[in-house]
Amino acid sequence: MTLIARYRAFVRGLSVNPVGRAGVVLTTSSFLTFLFMELLRLLGVLTNAYIGLITYLLLPTLFVVGLALIPLGWWLYRKARARADRELLAERFSPDAVAPRPGGSRLFVTVVVFTLVNILFLTAASMRMLTFMDTPVFCGTACHKVMHPEWATYQVSPHARVRCVDCHVGEGTGALVSSKLNGARQMFLAMFNAYERPVPTPVRQLRPARETCEKCHWPDKFYGYRQQVRVHYGMDRDSTPRYTTLNLKIDTGEAAGHAGIHWHVAEANAVRYASAEDERQEMLWVEVRQLDGTWRRFARRGEQAAPTPADWQRTLDCVDCHNRVTHIYEEPEVAVDERMRRGLMDRSLPFVRREVLGALLPDYPDREAAMAGIAARLEGAYARLLPEMTAAQRQALERTITAAQAVYNRNIHPLMAVRWGTYPSHLDHRHDGGCFRCHNQELVDSTGAAVSHDCTLCHSFLAYGSAGPYQFLETPTDNDSEAAMHRYLREEFLKQGE
Amino acid sequence: MCRSMLAILFIISLVLAVLAQTPATSAAAGKCLTCHKEKTPGLYQQWYGSAHALHKVTCLDCHRAESGDADGFIHYDVRIATLVTPTDCGRCHKREAAEVGASYHATAGLILESQDAYLAHVLAGAPVAILGCESCHGGKVKLDPGSPNRLHKESWPNSGIGRLNPDGSKGACNACHPRHLFSKAQARQPEACGKCHLGPDHPQKEVYEESKHGNTYYTNLDAMNLKADRWVVGADYSAAPTCATCHMAASTRVQATHDVGQRIYWTLRPPVSAAKDNAGPRRVAMKNVCAACHGQVFVNGHFHQYDAAVRLYNDKFARPATDILALITKNKLLERPASFGNDIEWIYWELWHHEGRRARHGASMMGPDYTWWHGFYEVAKHFYFELIPEARRYNNPEVNAFIDRLLRDDPMHRWVNERTDGLKRQIRSGELQEYYRRFFAAGK
Repeated sequence: MTLIARYRAFVRGLSVNPVGRAGVVLTTSSFLTFLFMELLRLLGVLTNAYIGLITYLLLPTLFVVGLALIPLGWWLYRKARARADRELLAERFSPDAVAPRPGGSRLFVTVVVFTLVNILFLTAASMRMLTFMDTPVFCGTACHKVMHPEWATYQVSPHARVRCVDCHVGEGTGALVSSKLNGARQMFLAMFNAYERPVPTPVRQLRPARETCEKCHWPDKFYGYRQQVRVHYGMDRDSTPRYTTLNLKIDTGEAAGHAGIHWHVAEANAVRYASAEDERQEMLWVEVRQLDGTWRRFARRGEQAAPTPADWQRTLDCVDCHNRVTHIYEEPEVAVDERMRRGLMDRSLPFVRREVLGALLPDYPDREAAMAGIAARLEGAYARLLPEMTAAQRQALERTITAAQAVYNRNIHPLMAVRWGTYPSHLDHRHDGGCFRCHNQELVDSTGAAVSHDCTLCHSFLAYGSAGPYQFLETPTDNDSEAAMHRYLREEFLKQGE
Repeated sequence: MCRSMLAILFIISLVLAVLAQTPATSAAAGKCLTCHKEKTPGLYQQWYGSAHALHKVTCLDCHRAESGDADGFIHYDVRIATLVTPTDCGRCHKREAAEVGASYHATAGLILESQDAYLAHVLAGAPVAILGCESCHGGKVKLDPGSPNRLHKESWPNSGIGRLNPDGSKGACNACHPRHLFSKAQARQPEACGKCHLGPDHPQKEVYEESKHGNTYYTNLDAMNLKADRWVVGADYSAAPTCATCHMAASTRVQATHDVGQRIYWTLRPPVSAAKDNAGPRRVAMKNVCAACHGQVFVNGHFHQYDAAVRLYNDKFARPATDILALITKNKLLERPASFGNDIEWIYWELWHHEGRRARHGASMMGPDYTWWHGFYEVAKHFYFELIPEARRYNNPEVNAFIDRLLRDDPMHRWVNERTDGLKRQIRSGELQEYYRRFFAAGK
C-alpha cells in the first residue's frame, strides 16, 4: 500500500460523520494551503504584506478548529453507536492497521506521527503569527475601520519605519501578555461596535517615554538650535507668501550653556503637573524641582493650595509636548500652506489658498461626499474665476483638486469622527495650547511671578510674517512700520552667538 | 558768553538724553509688537494698517505710563497703561485734544446727577447704567489694584465720549476713532455718530437718513473722498455732507474743530429750548458750512423756518406743560414721593425728552417726518389728550384754572372748543396762520 493510499484509508476512517469529515477537510486543506502560501512567499511570488492576515491568522486558526472537530466527531459517533472504541476502530480501519504490534499498532503510530507533525506545524505557525502580529500591517489593518486614521497618518509620518509595537507594546513577557489582553478587549469592543469615536486621547497605557522615545532620542543628544522656515500664503489673489523663520532654541542647557526647550528633560531638571481630568490640556498647576529638592509650584491665580486628585498628576516627559510625533493630524491652513510650498497646489490659480480652504473646511458627511464636494467646489470656483481656462490652468486645477482630496483623506476620517482639530498638537502654541498651557500669565507662584513666556524664550525670529525668509538679517529700514520689531528681533538673534 | 555756553551744554545733554532714550523705547516697542502680533493679531493688523504705523507711532507712544500714574502697571519690564486718554493723544494731537476738552462731548460723563441716570438706576439697575448710559456718555474709570491692568471690571471696557479718566482728563478719542485703526474716514461717516445719536429720544441718525443730505450721501458714497488727508467741503468733496461735515469739518469758509457743539446755537436737549451763549457767531459758523453748497437766501430761509418751529414748540407746548407740572408739584398733588413714581411725570418726560426732541431735531436737520409725525404730532396728541386729562384728574382749582385759561384765551389752543367748519374757514382765510406769524418775526 502506498503512503497516499494509507493516508486516504486513515482519513476515511476518521471521517465518521459530517463533523469528523469537516474536521479532516479543514485541517488538511488549511495545512496544504499554508504550505502553498509559504512556498509562494519564499519564492517571492507573494509580496503583499496583507496576505499575512490569511496565512498567519486565518489558516492556523482553521487548522486548530479542524483538529478539534476530529475528536468531537469521533465522540458523537461513539455516542450514537453506543459501542466501545475498540469495536468501532475495528469497524473503521483495516484489521492490519489496528493489529497490535510492538511499539503500538500501525494506527497508533500514524496518530503519533501526525501529532508530532501538528505540534511542529503549530509551533512554527504560532511563531509566525506572533511575528506577524508585531508588524504594523497587522495593527493598522486588522481592525481596519477603527485604526484607519492612525494607519493613514502613521504611513506618512517621521516614524513610518518604526513598528507600532516598539512604542505601543514594548519588550518582555509582561508587555506581551498585557498587550494581548488589551487586544482581546479591543477585539470585543470592535465586534460589538462599542468603541469610542474618535479614539480618546491621551493614551494613558502608553509605555514611559524613557523606555521608548529615548532608545533613539536621548536627552544628551539635543544641542544648539534648529532653524525652521514657515511659509504662510495669503488669502489674496496671488496667495502671496509670508515667511516666519524661527531659530528654535532646543538645547537641554547642559552642553551649550544656553538652556532651551529640552531644558524640561535635562538630567538635572524635573517638571510635574496636574491637569483637569488628566486630559493634559488645562493645567491646574505645574511644579519645577529646585536645587534643594523642593518643588516650586505655579498654580492658577488664587488656587495655589487647591487639592488635586493624585491621578491627575504626571511627571512631564517627551509626549507631553511631542504628543503627535507619528499620528500627525494637520491644521487645514498649515496643510494647505505645505502643499502650496511643494507646488502640489498651484499658485498660478487666483485665490488658490482661499478656494482650497473653502473646499476643505465644510463638514462633509462621508469620504465619497467629500471627494465629490471638494472637486465640485473647486471646479465651480474656477469656472467663475477663470471663465476662459487655458489647458495649463486646467491641469493646474486638476492637480490642485487631487492634492486637496489627499489632504482631506489624510486628516479627516468621518467614520471615526476625526475632523479638523480633533487631535491638536502640543508642539507649538496654536490656539493658546501646547507651550502656552503652562507658559502663560495665569499660572503664578506664591510671589505672583508667572511661568516665563517671552516670545524669544524658546525661539529667535529671522522673519516674522515677512516678505523674505531672512528679512531680519538685513538692516532695518526706517520707512518700515515694523522697524522697531525688526531691530529688536535682529539684536536678540545676533546676541545668541555670544 | 556763560549763558550761551550753558545753552549749548543744555542742548548737548538734551540730545544725549534723547539718544539714550530712543533705543530703549524702540527695543521695548519691538518686544510689544513681537508678542502682540501673535497674541492679538487683529489689533496688530489694524495698527499695521493705520496712519500711526505709517508714521512709526508704536505701542508705547500711546500706552506708556509715568511712575505716578494711578492706572500704570509693569508689563514685561515696561510701565504702561491700558487706558489711552485725550491727554495721551494730546501729546501729538494738541489742538484736537484741547478742543475736545472744551467741548460739550467732554461733559457727557457728568450725567450721574441727571434724570437719565436716575431713571436707569431706579428703573433698571447698575449693570444697565453701565452698559446703557455709560457706554455712550462715558463713566468714571474705577481702579482696582487687584486687576492685571489696574482697571476695575465695572468700568473697563468703556469708551464713552465723556469718560472721566484717572488723569483728570475727560473723554475717549476712540469713541469716534476706534482703536487700533484710528481712521479719519470712519469718524467722518454718520455711522460713527450713530452709535449714540439715534433712537426715540434723539434720532439724529434717523433724521439725517431721512433728509436729502443723508440720502444723497448714501447714493454718492464713492464720491465722498472719505480717506483723504484734507477733507474740506466744497474743495475736496461736494457730493453730500455727513454729521462731521456740518458740525466739525472744515469748509471753504470755516476751520475744522473738534468742539462738536461750536456751530450749534439752539439747545435742543432741555424741556424748553434756549439760545446758547454766543448764539450769533455759532450760527454764522454753521451758515458758513451750508454756504459751501447753498446760496445765501436758501440758507437764511432754512434757519428762518427752523427757528420758528423751535419757538413754536417752546411757547405752545413746552412752557405750558412745564407750568402745569410746576403747579402740581407746588400744590403737592403727586401721590408717590419718588420722581417718576406718577403717571403725569412720565407723560411730561416723554413729551419733551422724546417727542419734543424729535420734533426739534427733525426741524433742525430737514427731516419732515420727524418734524411732524414722530415729532409735533405726538407732542400735541399727548399734550391735549394725556397730559391735560391727567392734570385735571387731580381736580385742583389752581391747576384747573390754568388749563381753562389756556384753552380759552390762547389763540393757539382755542381750537379745542371750536367748531370744525369755523376752523377750516380760518385756515383757508389765513387767519389761523396769523397767530403763528410772531414765531417767524421774533428775534429778527
